[in-house]
Amino acid sequence: MYTTSKFRKLSALFAVFIFLFSASTLHAFEGDAKNGKKLFKSNCASCHKLDRKLVGPALTGVTDKYSEEWLTKWIRNNAELRASGDEEAIAIFEEYNGSVMSAFPMLSDQDIFDILQYTIEGDAKPVPTGGDLAGGTTVVVESKDYSKQITIGLGLLLFVMVMLLTRMKNTLRLVQGEDPVSILDEAGWFWGRLINNKGFVTVATIVVTVLFLNQAYWWMSGIGVEQNYQPEQPIAFSHALHAGENQVDCNYCHSSARHSKHSGIPSANVCMNCHMYVDGSEITDASGNLKYDGESSPEIAKIYAAIGWDGENREYIEDYEEQPIKWVRIHNLPDLVYFNHSQHVNVGQLECQECHGPVETMEEMYQYSELTMGWCINCHRETEVQFEKNGYYQDFHEELTEKYHGEKITAAKIGGLECGKCHY
Amino acid sequence: MTENNKYWRGIEDQSNPELSEKLAQNEFSNEISQADFLGNDELAESSTSRRDFLKFMGFSTAAATLAACEAPIVESIPYVVKPDSLTPGIANYYASSYYDGYDFASVLVKTREGRPIKIEPNNDASYNGATNARVQASVLSLYDGARMHNPMMDGAATSWGEAIAKAQSLLTANSVVLTRTVISPAVKTAISKLGLRHVSVDAVSQSNRADVYEALTGVRALPTVELSKARVVFAVGADFLGDWDGENLNGAYAAARKPGSDMLRHIQAESGLSLSGANADVRIKAKVSEYESVLAHVYNKVANAAGVATVSAPALREDIKLSVEGVANELITAGSGSLVLNGLNSASAEKLAAKTNELLASAAFNTSKLDFTATGSDSDFAALLEDIKSGAVTSVLTLDTNVLHFSTAMASLADKVSLVSIADRLDETASKAVVALPMSHYLEAWSDAAPVSGIYTVGQPTISPLFDSKSAVEIVNTLAGGSESAVDLIKASAASGSASKAWNALLHDGFADVTSVDVVTGTLDMTDVAVSAPLKGLEFYTYTKAGMGAGNNANNPWTYELPDPVTRLSWDNYVVMSAADAVAFGVEVKAQSNGSMNGTTINITVDGATLENVPVWIQPGQTQGSIGLAVGYGRTEAGKVGNNVGVNANELLAPAVNYTEATVVASEAEHGFASVQLAHTMMGRKIVNEINLPTFLSGNAKEWNEKPTFESYKGPLTSFEANLWDDQDHETSHMWNMSIDLNSCTGCGACVVACSLENNVPVVGKDEVRRHRDMHWLRIDRYYSSDMTKEVAEEEGVGAIEKYAKMEVPSESPSVVFQPVMCQHCNHAPCETVCPVGATVHSREGLNHMAYNRCIGTRYCANNCPYKVRRFNWFNYQVNDKFTDVNPSQDDYGRMVLNPDVTVRARGVIEKCSLCIQRIQMGKLEAKKDGRQLTDGEFTTACAQACGSGAIVFGDVNNPKSEVSHLKQEERSYHLLEEVGTQPSIFYQTKVRNRA
Repeated sequence: MYTTSKFRKLSALFAVFIFLFSASTLHAFEGDAKNGKKLFKSNCASCHKLDRKLVGPALTGVTDKYSEEWLTKWIRNNAELRASGDEEAIAIFEEYNGSVMSAFPMLSDQDIFDILQYTIEGDAKPVPTGGDLAGGTTVVVESKDYSKQITIGLGLLLFVMVMLLTRMKNTLRLVQGEDPVSILDEAGWFWGRLINNKGFVTVATIVVTVLFLNQAYWWMSGIGVEQNYQPEQPIAFSHALHAGENQVDCNYCHSSARHSKHSGIPSANVCMNCHMYVDGSEITDASGNLKYDGESSPEIAKIYAAIGWDGENREYIEDYEEQPIKWVRIHNLPDLVYFNHSQHVNVGQLECQECHGPVETMEEMYQYSELTMGWCINCHRETEVQFEKNGYYQDFHEELTEKYHGEKITAAKIGGLECGKCHY
Repeated sequence: MTENNKYWRGIEDQSNPELSEKLAQNEFSNEISQADFLGNDELAESSTSRRDFLKFMGFSTAAATLAACEAPIVESIPYVVKPDSLTPGIANYYASSYYDGYDFASVLVKTREGRPIKIEPNNDASYNGATNARVQASVLSLYDGARMHNPMMDGAATSWGEAIAKAQSLLTANSVVLTRTVISPAVKTAISKLGLRHVSVDAVSQSNRADVYEALTGVRALPTVELSKARVVFAVGADFLGDWDGENLNGAYAAARKPGSDMLRHIQAESGLSLSGANADVRIKAKVSEYESVLAHVYNKVANAAGVATVSAPALREDIKLSVEGVANELITAGSGSLVLNGLNSASAEKLAAKTNELLASAAFNTSKLDFTATGSDSDFAALLEDIKSGAVTSVLTLDTNVLHFSTAMASLADKVSLVSIADRLDETASKAVVALPMSHYLEAWSDAAPVSGIYTVGQPTISPLFDSKSAVEIVNTLAGGSESAVDLIKASAASGSASKAWNALLHDGFADVTSVDVVTGTLDMTDVAVSAPLKGLEFYTYTKAGMGAGNNANNPWTYELPDPVTRLSWDNYVVMSAADAVAFGVEVKAQSNGSMNGTTINITVDGATLENVPVWIQPGQTQGSIGLAVGYGRTEAGKVGNNVGVNANELLAPAVNYTEATVVASEAEHGFASVQLAHTMMGRKIVNEINLPTFLSGNAKEWNEKPTFESYKGPLTSFEANLWDDQDHETSHMWNMSIDLNSCTGCGACVVACSLENNVPVVGKDEVRRHRDMHWLRIDRYYSSDMTKEVAEEEGVGAIEKYAKMEVPSESPSVVFQPVMCQHCNHAPCETVCPVGATVHSREGLNHMAYNRCIGTRYCANNCPYKVRRFNWFNYQVNDKFTDVNPSQDDYGRMVLNPDVTVRARGVIEKCSLCIQRIQMGKLEAKKDGRQLTDGEFTTACAQACGSGAIVFGDVNNPKSEVSHLKQEERSYHLLEEVGTQPSIFYQTKVRNRA
């Protein structure tokens, strides 16, 4: 309570301060457009765009039309404003067929100013690349691996030195009146000694065989292991954008991971929850022009084609023959193994990233882990069971603690290595 | 000095030195062809040499290796709009009801990703929520590709509009609607809307019995029985455990027969050994033609005691006279606790039974709560046949009845009528129809039912129709000019009744209570009771088998593969004959060198009609002078599985008639049986521990349930104390055990089918079953008693060899025991120690795990298993051409029934019962997700769930509150072959017979 009231006092002070110092300016507030953009994305973007009418009106130039005081009231609680009989408010409500805008009592004045500042400044045009690099852009020098060149260089040096030595030796021989010897003859003599040495041949055979078998073993055990498998998908979907930049929770789309053995690929109607509003038309190219001429992005349009969404009229096409999206499955376990996502995500409380890697940075999804049995087993050996707060384990947590004298209890210790737990 | 003596290596050497020389050159003269090795008949004709073979092998190995390097692209296609109620990977259950004119059951349908994959009993149902083998198997019939794919007109596919128009033009005012028993109020309404004469006839007729109650109560129905109120039940030819309305009585029977002083006593008089007869305490062998006189004698005795007029009855055979009199006395003593049941389709027999119950004031016999599931009328049907003959009826609409198969009389008149058939497939009837309208399977259709007084149930679709078919109710309604959809018709029907639940609740539960029909009970008129004289000559009768029933699932491989509980034969019907008759007719059944059984066939002639080359099975317990043949077989238009399996018994005997006189001659042909059990007796071992009630009540369990002990320096030790191995740690977490009560198990086979469904157990077909390569993870062993026992041998001074030879022979009047055997999950498992690759290992939860992908197929484990429960996968049943006709996985539709949580095993591995580990894991996971402890009975194995009599109880013995932990302490409990020291997790409860 204390902090809230303190904030309130502070913001009131702040408002007064702003009022005093900005009376003469066109925009009677100081807003941070950067923060505004963030707030806009999380609170407003589902109904508003800057340049286009969506559910609600386009917001560019809204500060020219209405006073900041009115806007603050409207944004905080538009229903209250309408109830107070404000004509402007009622007019806009009627213009949009009585669709109710949510109230945002949690936004501070500064927040609202930030948002309004953003509506004025708009999206900053990206700086065209290839031009001025000095503008704060750090130049990343690619670090290169020179080990190969060094090896080759050293090899060459060695070769030259051997040649020199041979030359010197022959010169010395000539000086002493002996015949010069070719290096090949000497090598042949050495080679002959080696070949005739049974011990050497045996050892060499063993070494070669062992090396070969070792290679063959690793090659063969790699069959069917599809680590880094990165097939081309029907839609160029970027996890980096969705899970990384926009921080959409994994469970939002892969909702069944918590409940079912399958993590589930989201059905198109889940995509539409956002893409009904986000159609990619605002994406700009390098020079700052609209990339798709204001049309929806061709990748997002694939979702519309699948489900039958009419972007023009903003409605689903009736009696549309749905066209399922045929994603290419990346993580393929053999049929003989049973894997359950909910056991790991829900009960084991593992982060998705532990098996799937840094998905939030992947432009294109790939198989991060080996998904081999050894990999599974290893994790079962190392991972502690999440006994805490799970009533299921209540009794035998105590029993096991006693049995293992307080050692850490891994999945392996409660039967996580038994064949029948995964193979049936 | 040495001499070159020639020594003969044998007499052949002297007589044929050339041959001998040749043999010496060619040591392995008996070449084994690779074709034999590969088991491929086609290769036998090819000239593949060893080198070619190796080349092929080399190439295919290389090809396979290369192919394995490249992973195939797997597509993953999500819903476009996902239904709210559906999460991939999580099963949904829907309540529904099953009725096919023979079986009724309230069921739960398990669906995965929108596919029904399993039928479960609806335990909350107020009437018959149990499932039997046939109901369990019915889910596969949904995926039967032999079903009609679209409406047919004159043998060609057509549209619904045209087919309906044509059908309507064929149906005139004098047309007749011919159905099996209809219990659906909605269908009845639709039929009455047609305004045509309605005749119903059943493939297994109870018509004359229903006539009695129609006269008595004014409602055409059968009485219901409450076994919980009975102390003595006397059933005459009534297989109430096998074919009376599904599993309805099994649960009550098992409950009433819990060992104790008030245990139900069951006496059965019958000709062939039925399931009920096998479970009876006392069994009287009476011919079917003697049933009436048996009932009459009992009635007369009871009537005498009650001072009521008796009926005249022919004298009984001397050898059963005394026993029947004894039964009558017992019934009189039991008074209102007695119950007489009749299974004969005869009004006189039914009246005698009903009147006896009435005189004894039987509390268990209920004529005010009525059963409507078998009300077909033979007399109506006979009248219809006359009308067709005379030309008064020229077109017939058949609804879900394969009348041309079970009625030869109707089949012979088929040309005289235009048929419109509503059927699921182009069966013997629909294939002859002018218009055939495809009826949806019950899992894709809306339906309702009023099976007994006071109960109303609905069936709902769990999948969209696979083919262009419609619900029966909708088709009939459309023919009557209606346009309502099936769901609206059922909704209207539910609303018009007095269902106690709102529509959504009704749909959720699947059943509701309704006001029962008013029954005015009159008095039985005994004046027209005429007891027919027993047949002098050989009598032929028809009966139903546990798997096939009335034959409604005739293209369903599971119903064929399920071995008959009594004969233990699959994929056949056959004449059952007593050993004495077999000798008289020169019939024999012999074991072949490969372990299969072959038998003689006979020609049976009844009234000039002859059925040729019918196989004969010699059945212990069969009454002499009486032979039986199961109905439902001999199909020609059922589909690839059911066509030409067995013979059609109804060709000799119409369903209305139970028995007739027949002449029999042995024929030349030999028949191969698919028998899964060759040893018929226990040879004096304690495999099934069986005692009589007085012994049980004496309470000296140490004596009648003796545990084996081993002498040691510490004194005698039990098999749990005398150990070669270290004990497993089973103290923490769960320890799964299972109790099987042999006293409750009726041997019905529901568990076997449920297990096959749950665990994707392959169907292997007759040829493989003949080689004992059946894949069932759970079998129900059946043992007969023998006249020779160790005690008898000692008394009579019979020598050991003769004793054991005689002990192998079942008695002519045996007592029968059933014993479900699956993997015993030994805690000291012999299989685990011999596996060279560690493919079968023990779990800390008391299970014996089997890792298929580790198994290399040495079969050491199967050899070392004392229970013989490990099955070896000889083929890739799901792709091998040999199994195209029988294995459902080879069909795009049939494959949909597979349980996605269980691996489909590949060739060359051992498989066995896993104690439904997928259910255990799922159950534990649900509890973990909810963060709560497991409750007993929260989940159970497929067999335990399907068991209508509650014989199988599964649970965690480490939970002291669980039922199974109590059962383990029971004095009746014992382990199978405990003396081997395997310490199984499965244990059995001693069977107790209620006799002295």
